[in-house]
Amino acid sequence: MYLLAPTALRIAPEEFPARVRARFAAELRRAGRFAQLCLLGAQACLDAAGGEGPLAVLWASEFGALHATRAALAEDLKRGEAAMPFSFIATQPHLAGALLAQRSHPVTRTACLYLPPDDWPSLPRLAQRWLAQCERVLVGCVEESGPGGTAHRSDWCLFRKTPAAGALRCERSLKAESAADATAEDWIPRVAAWRGRSPLILRGGEDAWSFASDG
Amino acid sequence: MTGTFVRAAALASALGPDLDSAVERLAGAPVAPARNTKAGGAWPYFAIPISGGDWRERAEAIARSVAGDLRRAAAIEPARWAELPCIVGSSSFSVGAWDEGGWTALEPPFEFAARLARGFGVRGPVTAVSTTCTSGLSALDIALALIAAGEFREVLVLGAEFCNRLTVAGFSGLELLSATAARPCDRERDGLVLGEALAAVLVSAAPSPWRIAALATAMDAASVTGPAADGAAIANAMRAAMALARWESAAVDLIKLQSGGGRLADSAEANAVRELFTPAPRAVSLKGALGHTLGASGPAELALLLASLERGRVPATWGFAERDGELGLAPSGGEAHGVRRVLFNLSGFGGSVMSLALEKAD
Repeated sequence: MYLLAPTALRIAPEEFPARVRARFAAELRRAGRFAQLCLLGAQACLDAAGGEGPLAVLWASEFGALHATRAALAEDLKRGEAAMPFSFIATQPHLAGALLAQRSHPVTRTACLYLPPDDWPSLPRLAQRWLAQCERVLVGCVEESGPGGTAHRSDWCLFRKTPAAGALRCERSLKAESAADATAEDWIPRVAAWRGRSPLILRGGEDAWSFASDG
Repeated sequence: MTGTFVRAAALASALGPDLDSAVERLAGAPVAPARNTKAGGAWPYFAIPISGGDWRERAEAIARSVAGDLRRAAAIEPARWAELPCIVGSSSFSVGAWDEGGWTALEPPFEFAARLARGFGVRGPVTAVSTTCTSGLSALDIALALIAAGEFREVLVLGAEFCNRLTVAGFSGLELLSATAARPCDRERDGLVLGEALAAVLVSAAPSPWRIAALATAMDAASVTGPAADGAAIANAMRAAMALARWESAAVDLIKLQSGGGRLADSAEANAVRELFTPAPRAVSLKGALGHTLGASGPAELALLLASLERGRVPATWGFAERDGELGLAPSGGEAHGVRRVLFNLSGFGGSVMSLALEKAD
């Protein structure tokens, strides 16, 4: 399969509202911070990748919509009030696919995975299987800022079955022992930054993936 | 016959702590859900009749109980069992632990999924997936892909939903709950009743009585909390499932409806059924008996339906009494003679719609 438009967003928490307004003109109605963060990165990736047509969307997080969950628990349940509709049953993480479909691209299949940091290879593995039934799979790793005020992360890339200008050939590597360790936080940025002639081989857990220029 | 098969299933639900007791109870007179003041407040709630310990200890005890049932049903040698990969679908994971334990009890969803997998005694890779109410079928979708790719011959799929105040408060805030009972497709239906369940389904490349002929997905982006009124996305998912399974619509013997008793959602699904079928096939809904078990509902309803069919019965749709002329659907239980092809619908918040095609393999 082929990887297009690796896009890594890092957004300081204090800059987040302005970034959302700049991109979408206003805060997205009913979408909490996590869903908006997903959408910012996904749209940036799709802008860079170009193309049209149906999409499958697959994204992962370690903690998910922690901010919305904590707010619902602290602000609503502790006061004995009804929870805000979009902060429960994991709607915020899953909402991104629907919002993307509403805004532009027809979406055929979505899933939000919760993964530990070294299990990022689950994403290209599943994307490869989904490509048996669709032409394009948008893949993301998204994490809200942690307690230390670290930047929000929203990293995305687009996988497709067929070659395209600027696309990297992406395949599972049997050279896991010689691969560089990567995590959910840095595998897409490293692919985005890579300019070498030899393939970039990254490992997560026991699985390794190779990214190389096509031709 | 090749493909992926349901090798074994197990379930803890409001109908009983195991699948056998659930099937037996479902064949009897309907039972009203209790009012669970702990999680459900004033709302009726279908709770698993297993108690003891704090929230997490109870969840682990339920997992061990379901695991024991599944291992007996699956009859897999211990070494193979231990290597099984496990895909966990849930909408709420362990958020209920907060109800008793506060902030320190919250853990990342993946850690809770891994905890459940350990409760089942499996050491293979664990994946946690959430697509709101379709989470359990999304887990099955991933399992089917793993088997189709030849990476595993057998995969353990869990649908897990345990009582928690946040989910009940959220549905309450959306005014989607019934104050009395779930009445799927009934003229007097007035909302959902929530429930909890832990369901386990072992899918395998080795032939078993029920084959998963197809699993199709669609996205309904009309609204993030409900389907488009015309049911177009639901129809698309059913149409795609039948196409992948290479069925004509006349070949469908039974539809397991998503229907949980909500006015708009039931109406949208009925529109989708009318678009594809003339006349509508026999139909059943299980949410009047299990409650809406959200992320667990796919595996939970799959386990209960197949176990009932294997015993020769299409389950009755508890809560359905009087046909709604606008829907035109009249679920009916009874003898399952001739039921060989089943469409199994599920949909959820965020626009996720899925339809599973199940085929009797022998």
